Amino acid sequence: MAEKPKDDPARYPPLGRALMWVDKPGSANKLFWGLAIISGLLFVGDFTYSKYGKMDVGNIPGFYGVYGFVMFTLLILVAKALRVLIRRPEGFYGDKAIDTEAYPEDQLERIDNDA
Amino acid sequence: MLDQIPTAFLFFAAALALPVLPRGAVRGALLLALPLVAALQAWSLPVGTYAQVEFFGFTLDLMRVDKLSRVFALIFCLAAFLGNLYAWHVRDTVQQIAALIYAGAAIGAVFAGDLITLFFYWEGTAIGSVFLIWARRTTASYHTGMRYLIIQVGSGVLLLAGAAILYRETGSLAFELMTLGSLGTWLIFLSFGIKSAFPLLHNWLQDSYPAATVTGTVVLSTFTTKLAIYALARGFAGTEILIYIGVVMTLFPIFMAEIENDLRRVLAYSLNNQLGFMVVGIGVGTELAINGAVSHAFAHILYKSLLFMSVGAVLYRTGTSKASELGGLYRTMPRTAILCIIGAASISAFPLFSAFVTKSLTVSAVAEENYPIIWLLLIFASAGVLSHSGIKIPYFTFFAHDSGLRPKEAPTHMQLAMAITAALSIFIGVYPYPLYALLPYPVEYVPYTMAHVMEQMLLLSFALLAFGVLMRTGIHPPEIRAVNLDTDWTYRWLMPRVLDRVSVVMARIWTANVALLERWMNGIWRRLYHSHGPEGRIAQVWPTGSMVLWIAVLLGITLVVSFAS
Repeated sequence: MAEKPKDDPARYPPLGRALMWVDKPGSANKLFWGLAIISGLLFVGDFTYSKYGKMDVGNIPGFYGVYGFVMFTLLILVAKALRVLIRRPEGFYGDKAIDTEAYPEDQLERIDNDA
Repeated sequence: MLDQIPTAFLFFAAALALPVLPRGAVRGALLLALPLVAALQAWSLPVGTYAQVEFFGFTLDLMRVDKLSRVFALIFCLAAFLGNLYAWHVRDTVQQIAALIYAGAAIGAVFAGDLITLFFYWEGTAIGSVFLIWARRTTASYHTGMRYLIIQVGSGVLLLAGAAILYRETGSLAFELMTLGSLGTWLIFLSFGIKSAFPLLHNWLQDSYPAATVTGTVVLSTFTTKLAIYALARGFAGTEILIYIGVVMTLFPIFMAEIENDLRRVLAYSLNNQLGFMVVGIGVGTELAINGAVSHAFAHILYKSLLFMSVGAVLYRTGTSKASELGGLYRTMPRTAILCIIGAASISAFPLFSAFVTKSLTVSAVAEENYPIIWLLLIFASAGVLSHSGIKIPYFTFFAHDSGLRPKEAPTHMQLAMAITAALSIFIGVYPYPLYALLPYPVEYVPYTMAHVMEQMLLLSFALLAFGVLMRTGIHPPEIRAVNLDTDWTYRWLMPRVLDRVSVVMARIWTANVALLERWMNGIWRRLYHSHGPEGRIAQVWPTGSMVLWIAVLLGITLVVSFAS
């Protein structure tokens, strides 16, 4: 069995190294709170101009934000409940289904970054 | 000269010539040059009908050029070019020919001026495309391809039957606007509905697209469904039932996509959802709505190709497209990651990205025509798009947990194809007017208003915030190795078992019947044997004696009868 190549960030592409800040401790928090601040500002900003849309409910300031948050959450919760009902093991359709079948190796070009 | 050659024939001629060309750069050059020549032809032909031929007494219009057919032909040519560039490394002649026939048939279909021509090309797309699935050359892809082919050819058969009935009713085979009502129009509508992936008729899409080759799925994502959208826009614009069908199409896939593990299947559900927006637009049928459906189809082909390309590049480098096995790939595939994010932003309709300037035409048309519930559901579906295509695809592939995979960046030609597609998606988003100029009707819509930008940003930022909250609280469902049941369960699981049971019951009934018959025959035989066999009563009297006895009886009866009369 081939030895697993050593994971050396110095060998990542420069763009990949630049993006590594997302995995630094605290970055996820910063992103979340940054998003929360932007959302808050947008919410407040929505009160600062007049709307003349055809749908009255869409003219309520902040409607899109509240609706987006609630419906997104609802979507995830319903999807999660749905999974309980319709989830089956990967091999459910037997060996004539692609779900358990490996993609043909001769049609791939697997090259490790360190290679 | 070029105007008398149907655009589709250029592709078919190239498909014939391709096998004799050496593999590699020469074939690659033909595959790239051909869609550009075809696009030039489609662009330069004035509105009109060309290349009419006689066929069993019918006049077939092979090239009906108008604004609706031209815009679809142009985006099909562009998609064929990008798909072929992405597949530059492919040396499989079957895939190359299949892609040419498939693209040619789709372009031929959008230029078809009559239902017979449409039928031939309609079936051509089925036959051309199935080889992109079979080219994977595995048992599972063979079976998936067969299921796909049966459904696609079935759609064509319905189209032909509908056309025949319609001809009997109206005496015309022209492919024009129809009104639902007769059996013929319903059959044609159903045929278009299968390829458009209407609810309950949709599952061929999610079943087959993940089964195709890396490059085949990119090509598949463009043609069949958008050809069906074109056909609906041509034949059934303003048919109200499409609004309700379309809105269901926008909704159910967002739930399915959320819990699907195979990212190419997630994208297939996402494709279904995007088709829903187009179907709603066609159902509304106003100029604004039709422009919305057509422009959204145009933009959608690009960003959906881009997403399939990026996931395909990951599959090409890692051997899997399952979210549960991926994650953290941004480290070594950062360009693919960023291009994928551009595709995700485009489909999510962020300002400055393509869907922002196309989907909003349809949503505005729905509001203009006063369908408040439909409008609310479309806004919900827009948040759903962000969930599975905007977040799930890039996040679980390139970020999230570190899978430990460190694949090399995608090959240069794949990156180039993705970069051009991404650039076009941004260009359309930033400056939509060249696209608007291609649309069937004049566009007065202004996408960049304060209200539209603010509303969309609010919707997306709060939906993203909800995602953040759900992730931090652990409520968001994890990616797990599993399959989810959909309508294909009926013909992949239920039907074989029902048929098995039925055949067992039938076999038992048959066996019981045979046994009963045998017993009955044996009984008769036994009784006959008992009376007529060597030991039987009849055998005790010799046949001559028996005959004399019966003659005496007959004579006796004759005497009695003579005496009586």
